[in-house]
Amino acid sequence: MLVRDFKREFYDVVQHQRVLVLVAFDVDSLCGCKILQYLFQCDQVLYTIVPVTDLQELEKAFLENAEGIKHVVLINCGATVDIVDLLQPEDHVRFYICDSHRPVDVHNFYNAVQVKLLMREDELSTIPTYDELFRDDSEDSGNESEDSDTGYKKKKFDEESIMRRQEKRRWSENRVKVLFDYTKFTSYGTSASLVMFDLAWKLSKDTNTLLWLAIVGVTDQYIHFKTPRDKYMEDILTLQSHVSRHNQRGGDNENTLSINSLKISFEEELNFPLYRHWTLIDTICHSMPIACKLRLWSLKGQKRLHEFLAEMGLPLNQCRQQFGAMDANLRSEVKGKIQEFMSKYGLDIQDVILPSFSLHYGYKSQLCATDYVLSSIAVLESGDKSRSSTDNFLEACDILQKGCTDKMEAGLLAAKLQLRSIYTQVQSFLEMHQIISAGPFLYVFVQEGTADSSYFTHPQCSIRLARFALQAHCAVSRNKRAQSLPLVLGAPLRQEEGTSLVVGIPPLDTDDERKNFFGKAFEQAAEATNTTAKFNNFDSYIIEMKSEDKSKFFDALISILQ
Amino acid sequence: MLAEKALDLIRELKRTSGGTLPPFNEDKIRQVLEEVQTLFEQNRDTAKYAAEGQHDVLAAIQLRHAGIQRNKRCLLAYLYNRLENIRRMRWEFGSVLPADVKYNMCEHEAQWFNQYNRLLANYMRSIGESGGLDLTQDMKPPKSLYVLVRCLMDHGEFETQDGTVILLKKNSQHYLMRSECEHLIRQGVLEHIVQ
Repeated sequence: MLVRDFKREFYDVVQHQRVLVLVAFDVDSLCGCKILQYLFQCDQVLYTIVPVTDLQELEKAFLENAEGIKHVVLINCGATVDIVDLLQPEDHVRFYICDSHRPVDVHNFYNAVQVKLLMREDELSTIPTYDELFRDDSEDSGNESEDSDTGYKKKKFDEESIMRRQEKRRWSENRVKVLFDYTKFTSYGTSASLVMFDLAWKLSKDTNTLLWLAIVGVTDQYIHFKTPRDKYMEDILTLQSHVSRHNQRGGDNENTLSINSLKISFEEELNFPLYRHWTLIDTICHSMPIACKLRLWSLKGQKRLHEFLAEMGLPLNQCRQQFGAMDANLRSEVKGKIQEFMSKYGLDIQDVILPSFSLHYGYKSQLCATDYVLSSIAVLESGDKSRSSTDNFLEACDILQKGCTDKMEAGLLAAKLQLRSIYTQVQSFLEMHQIISAGPFLYVFVQEGTADSSYFTHPQCSIRLARFALQAHCAVSRNKRAQSLPLVLGAPLRQEEGTSLVVGIPPLDTDDERKNFFGKAFEQAAEATNTTAKFNNFDSYIIEMKSEDKSKFFDALISILQ
Repeated sequence: MLAEKALDLIRELKRTSGGTLPPFNEDKIRQVLEEVQTLFEQNRDTAKYAAEGQHDVLAAIQLRHAGIQRNKRCLLAYLYNRLENIRRMRWEFGSVLPADVKYNMCEHEAQWFNQYNRLLANYMRSIGESGGLDLTQDMKPPKSLYVLVRCLMDHGEFETQDGTVILLKKNSQHYLMRSECEHLIRQGVLEHIVQ
């Protein structure tokens, strides 16, 4: 059931009781969880937080911690499956689901007692009506049993029951169709952290720190291609009004504000990853739209980049320095110069400029929202196999904590390594011509034993890799259809078990919707071929399967998508 | 040099001014006592000459006496500081001391510790309402009743005062009553996260 009044139906209910919070592994859920944590600590609500990577762990974590728990909050997990059916909870347990995954499972939506959805109402308008999905069959079945009792003759000529049965068949056919239409595409709604921030705002407990977390959550959705740009801009506008409310200063008071306080400001940021902490050349190379448009992986592309820089009047030795160490007047000109000359190199304003926010805290250099997202996701999905996933989770928690500058710096370093490995992987895809068209879609496999393959065992990172590969392929491909082809990426997951991770992303020309149909397609392909693919991930378009089943599975996928 | 060994004892105290207790240095104490004994005997012998009217030995007697006094003061300081240390540990670690501390105590110290324990326990039982009052808790006034903790190891189930059972699994985070989890934090099962 949808919760309309978050405060009354959710927050006031969980007061004075122990709450179990299950959090998925992405930056948005981390931010949402931190906001909720703050609220709970204000009101001394006792809680336990357990991070979960997939459905299996969700089940396990619930079983382990369910004792005596009445309220379970799920952040960015659980909305797309029938949670009551999956977890088999006792009757008094209530689930509060704050999840950006769409579509929401219909059972969750229509369960009025145990499941409460913390979501925006207008995003759930596409859900089928109750009558289309459920109907009270008790009357029918009662009649039927009666019929069989009284005898065959009566049943045969009972026109009414035939009509009823016919109608029922029609209804169930319709049900299947409606359900299929509803679940065909997976997409994302408003980020969990923004929903949580709204709650904090309604409780008058919003602070600059919480606002920053919400900003990071929203930015995470955009960076990982979950929400289209329109939705991102809409959220940013909402956030901007909060930002100006919180960071307003009277003209005279300006000097009295301590440098140690946290300040957020809206900025038209350069859309280069980590550029404040990197060299200009590196950051341009690792920026996806520019790298693709200038084809920076080739020698020619590098020359074009040098030309671009020369035209802007930026000396190479300056561009090879840390951005912060560049000449101050050059540094301040970079943004303007790039905007001036970008059209000549076929770059759009959207490739270069990203409206975003930046954070000032103390005397350290300022950080922008994308810095936070990239560094925390790099730590969250670190390629270091000796660390457990929960270790990474806590480490990423610390990064989002304000004032942890040393951890932040380590995170930035990890983010650079991750970006670099994605870039080199894409480069090798292109050089070896590994992106292959299978007719209705493109596919590419990360070879086993690749140096950085441990990075690509994680969902968010492999989404970014897939997207980069698709964009790069479209940039070099002469095939006009490339824009309308989706891409499937496979990466080795655990070598000893021989499993791979398979990710499907939608084609580029539907980019303003960001709806993904691979969830359903994978499901059907697995059914058709009887492969034991694991649909464990919270995103249905990311699955795990045995590497040996791959060819069989792909054949089925081709026939389905044709 | 005169009273050098006693000074060693004091130096030893200074070196270990952390949370640990060094082994009771019985050997050195015996040596200091022996030194005191010899000084005293020498003084007793020379005192005869002084009594006979040889006033030039008086200075030597004075010097030796000062040495004896100094040794005594050093020994007392050594013992007293160790006791203080043990007393502090009682407040920090509770009535059961870690094995290595216990091992380093001499017999008298152990006796003293037991008696102190008993005194403190009796006193704590007598004050407050029916159940007594644990003075060793909250040595500094706590900022909040609840704290955020992280599990550092798999500890298993933990029952709180109100009867709810919490599973303390590695890397899970909990918001718990400070008084309940304080001992687990001391044991290193939980880590207190300051925000």
